[in-house]
Amino acid sequence: MTEVNLNREEDIQNKLLSKFSFLEGRIKVKRARRIFADVDLNNFRSVFDYIVKDANFNIMCMITGLDEGENLSFIYHLANFDGIIFDLKTYAPKGNPVLKTITDAFPGAGLYERELVDLLGAKVEGLSIDNRYPLPDGWPDGQYPLRKDWKREMLDQKEEK
Amino acid sequence: MKITDKIVTWARTKSPWVIHFNTGACNACDIEIVAALTPIFDLERFGTLLKGTPRHADVLLCSGPVTRQIETRLKRIYEQMPEPKFVVAVGTCACSGGVFHDCYSVKGGIDMAIPVNAYIPGCPVRPEAIIDGVVKLLQSLEATDEKEVTK
Repeated sequence: MTEVNLNREEDIQNKLLSKFSFLEGRIKVKRARRIFADVDLNNFRSVFDYIVKDANFNIMCMITGLDEGENLSFIYHLANFDGIIFDLKTYAPKGNPVLKTITDAFPGAGLYERELVDLLGAKVEGLSIDNRYPLPDGWPDGQYPLRKDWKREMLDQKEEK
Repeated sequence: MKITDKIVTWARTKSPWVIHFNTGACNACDIEIVAALTPIFDLERFGTLLKGTPRHADVLLCSGPVTRQIETRLKRIYEQMPEPKFVVAVGTCACSGGVFHDCYSVKGGIDMAIPVNAYIPGCPVRPEAIIDGVVKLLQSLEATDEKEVTK
């Protein structure tokens, strides 16, 4: 197997490490064109802004929401025009999962954030919501179907009442 | 049976007008329905005609499982059709929910929302199966000719 050249990815990694010391050990070049980092919620926005504006990752691919038991985690997949994808992960406690919106940077990300709100029960500050999306209109409150502890029977019990 | 009823039944079985409604299908069954109606398979040789509005239609061809969002819309479309009306569930999903069975956003087959006269399983259904199902529905109408043609 030929040696893969990771110079571009490592340059980005080093730039981030020199700017944010708390990323030490939490940022990794997984393979060619894939960089992964996880940050706490408090530091999320500063890292996010740096990646988007200074490191030029100005394509918002999608947001992944995960239920990890105690925490909900959110992976923001950002890309640049060199085809490199930056996966920035952050956490929020399941009891009170409050995020801040990124729609000021990417207006289109509102749809992804609304999916987090409806399907995982995250709360997104600064996101205006006036109807259900993507769940159907008559969906009961407090039911988050992509959480691991959610069962379909919980919905049926709610409907019978 | 009155002679006028006989004529009405004859006319109905010789020219069933259909409306096609996607209740949440992946589009595969819809393509097969269109294939069945167009000249290669030519469902229109039995007098069927695809209509754009439920108010002109006798037969409702439903493809896909009933999602929670579409349920009230499906009922509204069904109620707009003039009596007597017939529903054909096209595809495995429309028959039972298929792979979407027990999904959080899906109610189940078409019969969870409205009464169904004919089930055509398949994933997707073959156009021949749609033709077979529609012809069986028409035959059952002719068979009930002696009785009252309703429901």
